[in-house]
Amino acid sequence: MFAIDQYAYTSRLRPVHPGEKLAFALVTMVICLASVSPAAPLAVLLIMTGAVLFRAGIPWRFYLKLMTLPLSFLIIGVLTVAVSISTGPPPPLLSGRTLGGITIGFTAASLQLAVLLFVKSLGAVSCLYFLSLTTPMVEVISLLRRFKVPALFVELMSLIYRFIFVIMETAEKMYVAQSSRWGYASIKTAYISLGQLVANLFGKSYHRSQALFTALQSRCYNGDLRVLETPRAPSRSNIMLIAAVDLFLAVLALYTGGGLIARIHP
Amino acid sequence: MPEFILEADTVEFSYPDGTRALQGVFMRIPRGAKVAVLGSNGAGKTTLFLHFNGILRPAGGRVRFDGREVRYDHRSLMQLRKNVGIVFQDPDSQLFSASVFQEISFGPLNLGLPREEVRRRVEEAMQATEITGLKDKPTHLLSYGQKKRVSIADILAMEPAVIICDEPTAWLDPKHAEQVMELFKRINNGGTTVILSTHDVDMAYSWADYIFIMMHGTVIGEGTPEEVFQDGELLFRADLARPRLVETWAQLRNKGLLPADLPLPRSWTELFELVPTRRAPGTGGPAPVYVLDREGTPACAACSARRR
Repeated sequence: MFAIDQYAYTSRLRPVHPGEKLAFALVTMVICLASVSPAAPLAVLLIMTGAVLFRAGIPWRFYLKLMTLPLSFLIIGVLTVAVSISTGPPPPLLSGRTLGGITIGFTAASLQLAVLLFVKSLGAVSCLYFLSLTTPMVEVISLLRRFKVPALFVELMSLIYRFIFVIMETAEKMYVAQSSRWGYASIKTAYISLGQLVANLFGKSYHRSQALFTALQSRCYNGDLRVLETPRAPSRSNIMLIAAVDLFLAVLALYTGGGLIARIHP
Repeated sequence: MPEFILEADTVEFSYPDGTRALQGVFMRIPRGAKVAVLGSNGAGKTTLFLHFNGILRPAGGRVRFDGREVRYDHRSLMQLRKNVGIVFQDPDSQLFSASVFQEISFGPLNLGLPREEVRRRVEEAMQATEITGLKDKPTHLLSYGQKKRVSIADILAMEPAVIICDEPTAWLDPKHAEQVMELFKRINNGGTTVILSTHDVDMAYSWADYIFIMMHGTVIGEGTPEEVFQDGELLFRADLARPRLVETWAQLRNKGLLPADLPLPRSWTELFELVPTRRAPGTGGPAPVYVLDREGTPACAACSARRR
């Protein structure tokens, strides 16, 4: 999670206007999810992977690791879709078995659906990774602020983002201090130590929030965390490129739309 | 214009847990000075600072800014906090934004300044603290020293008349500590009154124009560095060591190596210039200096100490 954050600040696409990156990721994801054939999602997956690896310069090993994260969920989900269990007359199975009136197996339709689900999910995930690997959270929050998302929401988001790191660091220090005194030597002490760590962390965080409030107050805080944005000029060529890619994907989705499934169920 | 920009007049304050943090503090800060407040942990330095910009309200006594008593309605408080800025000791509890630029812009924006002016002030504060290169870096990837600079820029951008900094050199290595002290010297040259709290007597001695010593919630001594650090009884009561420079100077003087009527030097260079160089006759090189009594010193072939 922290590695993603660091790549977001150092990727080669960092200077690109965050609005362009957000639009690209979101529009592409919508096309990917709306598509009813695997062709467009596959194209999305390829394009996003290419953008992340070659335009943003993220190491492929790291990207591959990220992509395998959702795989376990995905495989379980896809399997339940692919395997069809029926008690009635057996549907046209590609392979399967009937035992005591219950038929378990793959039908062509369920297999197609599973494949579609698989590539769609991976495609959508790649869109989100593209966004999070190229756009720092600070800029996403800035965008939300410009889109007039309620101030409370935006302020909470930015404070949480800032203090995740502070609190993580505090927890890490406590963990090191505990384990250097054999705090995690056995399972029993580990449970005790962990409990103390969590309780302590809560106290410390509360204390820190008080200190933060004092510091804000001394800078004339009056209820609004207003900050100045650095204006960024959108790039015409980037917008054209994004429009072209998404148009291509939309056409691809429409052209192949329903094609494969329609052929199976005429 | 009043001579003292900030005054605490017999200020008393207790925390809800019963700790009597301030017990009649009397402190007057000279306008435009570099002031150091010395005192051990728990002496009440931070509590007093929080009174200086109206975060805490005295239970007894008065705080005056620019000759006028501080009032605690919203408008007066805003006016006070605009003029008196505090840099807190732990930058991690001061910096609230993950973006350095946005962080620094918070204070000046609250002053209701136009955007262009805010932008100018942020740029200037970043230049003064030498962090312009960190503009696009997230706060959590900065080093401790860098965060410290950002927290100073936070306050600089508000262009206050007084900057208070709580333990600016705590946890900094000597090199960065010196850079920060240089920075405060530059800020002070621009006319801003600077108040620092510290445990470091050496630093306080060479940096400050005026020094306060606090203990158990009161000021037990004050004066120019020369006055304060020659008052052995005061230092003893306050549990403070003499600055090494003052100690060396006193020792040299007691041993007759320095004339008794010379002023106290403020830096090592000044001290070394005071010490006369003795030339060995003939060779032109420095002659050995005997600190011991001449009578007890054996005759030496290299010099004529015994014979003279």
